[in-house]
Amino acid sequence: MSDGNSQGKNGFSRRTVIKAAAAAGALQLTGPFIISARGEEPVKIGLDNPLTGTYAAVGGNELHGCELAVEQINAKGGILGRPVQLLVEDSTSGDAGTAVQKARKLIERDKVNFLLGNVNSALALAMADVSSEKGVLHIVPGGHTDAVTGKTCHWNVFRVCNTTQMEANAVAPALVRDGGKKWYYITPDYAFGHTLQAGLENAGAKLGVTKIGADLTPLGTTDFSSYLIKAQAAKPDVIIFLVQGNDMINALKQAVQFGLEKRFHLAGAQQELEPLIGLPPEARIGTWVFEWYWNQPNVPHVKEFVEAIRKKTGGHVPTARTWFGFASTWSCALGANAAKSLDAVKIAKAMQGMKLPPEVGLMPDQPFYRAGQNQLIPNLFVGHAQAKGSDPEDLFKVTTVVKGEDAAGTLEETGCKMTWPA
Amino acid sequence: MTQLILFNTFNGLIVGAFYALMALGLSLILNLSGVINFAHGGFLALGAYIAYTLLPHVGFWGALAIAPFLTAIIGLIVERLLIRPLYGRDPLYSLLLTFGLAYVLEDGSRYIWGAQSVPFPIPEALTTPLSNEFFFLTGYRLFMVGLVAVAVGGLFYILNRTRLGMRIRAGTMDLETVSTLGVNVQILRNLNFGLGIYLAGLAGVLAAGMLGLEPTIGTSLIMPSFVAIIVGGLGSLPGTLLGGLLIGVASGVTTVFFPSATEAVMYIMMGLVLLIRPRGLLGEEGRLQ
Repeated sequence: MSDGNSQGKNGFSRRTVIKAAAAAGALQLTGPFIISARGEEPVKIGLDNPLTGTYAAVGGNELHGCELAVEQINAKGGILGRPVQLLVEDSTSGDAGTAVQKARKLIERDKVNFLLGNVNSALALAMADVSSEKGVLHIVPGGHTDAVTGKTCHWNVFRVCNTTQMEANAVAPALVRDGGKKWYYITPDYAFGHTLQAGLENAGAKLGVTKIGADLTPLGTTDFSSYLIKAQAAKPDVIIFLVQGNDMINALKQAVQFGLEKRFHLAGAQQELEPLIGLPPEARIGTWVFEWYWNQPNVPHVKEFVEAIRKKTGGHVPTARTWFGFASTWSCALGANAAKSLDAVKIAKAMQGMKLPPEVGLMPDQPFYRAGQNQLIPNLFVGHAQAKGSDPEDLFKVTTVVKGEDAAGTLEETGCKMTWPA
Repeated sequence: MTQLILFNTFNGLIVGAFYALMALGLSLILNLSGVINFAHGGFLALGAYIAYTLLPHVGFWGALAIAPFLTAIIGLIVERLLIRPLYGRDPLYSLLLTFGLAYVLEDGSRYIWGAQSVPFPIPEALTTPLSNEFFFLTGYRLFMVGLVAVAVGGLFYILNRTRLGMRIRAGTMDLETVSTLGVNVQILRNLNFGLGIYLAGLAGVLAAGMLGLEPTIGTSLIMPSFVAIIVGGLGSLPGTLLGGLLIGVASGVTTVFFPSATEAVMYIMMGLVLLIRPRGLLGEEGRLQ
């Protein structure tokens, strides 16, 4: 850059611009960090989750759930009589290097007893490598890719959110009922999207569904018009949107502006409250599965939970993400108290088959960690998005509550072969 | 198949027009001041959020008219306070500054408006497609293309017909001479920066109507703009416009054959252009190479 010959009249060169463009890519991957709290001799739970970037909103909601759980645990006597402290680090939304470095910092310097994270499946897998190397009990609140509790499962890594196969199994019958049997997939091009589409193809095949077409879209796609042009030309019954977060908002918003909802059933599998809130009312449509929903009028303890979160967030309802954070943090306390120890192996053994009590589970059936896989098996909430409900944030109508056991498949199908430390 | 390609070519032109709008602002600032404005995406988000805040009070049209101006005013202040002291230094300084500014704008937006994306309604009159067959030609998208055309026309009018524009062009060629002829270069750069940020703000309001509005909305849009500038040729505004349209069409047509490469194709194009014609398609020889 100091080479005078290559510089233009304005003091920068074409090469500088190209390097700059490359650096702009890096800009999307990095993020600042958050200051963490410290105290004396409490039991420490380290949360290494996105607070900046694409997943800032969902990561923030998981954090709210974790905070509420810590308050409740401390009010009820803590873990083994000791107070609980939550240490928070920003993993960024997409930089595995940062997530791993923060996980190491939490484990080595802060000596956390439990590690929580990550929203991003790839970051969750990277963190699981660190936690299992260090033998620290690790709970993944909201990273969905099957491998976490599948082929690369570890004795110390537990997961609260569903596997993509569970979501696919739960929603497939409703998609056939509401839309039809010819499906066109719009799938995000990364681990989560691939496994979710494979899961739906699996589940659909048993129901006589044919795949009309499928397009892989790069993560962070802003313009979906060219995919939509292609999808409508194939004349499917259902256009299945498997993209998430802001990609979901972009895709649905554009599809509805094109009037495609009048010609096809626009739907998908995993849907969350965060994107529905970000959508204009006319685009809150389609058949989906929620992993947890706040409006469960007849289920005990849910109302109290919703009120407590509303107080924390200035009136906003909890989302599935809030519940992931809440259930994950509570699982640490429940596991340690059941094991009567802070030894990770003893806790992990105590958590095999452990049920979450109703005030933590917050759903009709008691969710439990399946032994030999460490995967939580909860209810799944199938229904459709709605423009308006009983509350400004009541944007989903649950029509069927699916039992987790019915969606989870067998332990052999997950591919998890767990080995325990000798 | 022919229809698919045709549709996607048309559609690519629409998308490309939007890329061009953002790239033109970047290009303006780059040409005159030699600043690679990384914070352009941040200003785009700011424009969109200002429009979102104004929306309940002045409606969509009012927000569309006012928000880009307010964004430009913030741009003028930022240029005066932060960027001006760095002129004449190694371009790395201003590059690092705008790199940091991009974070400040993103996190600032998150602090004020929250990480949760917010709905940005557009007038009903613009939401309907023209016909069932040409469903992708919605009122909003046609309006957007029209507005881009007006903005580009206006920009070229300013640059070619007004005193300010001629000075900007002259300054782009040779700032020192322009300065010795008595033109206040500081004010020239300031107004030019504001003009660039105005285009970012306008792009932001338009983007919010089609995309989810959240603090990172500009981040994913800034890369195609950089590519548009490099493909079109540094220093050439018509080149930037052409570059934007070209990458729009290229990624649209790629969807038909190889959907997962729609993003990659832009960079492949950039690589090819750099190999065959290093100054870009319309870049002037000997300048900015």
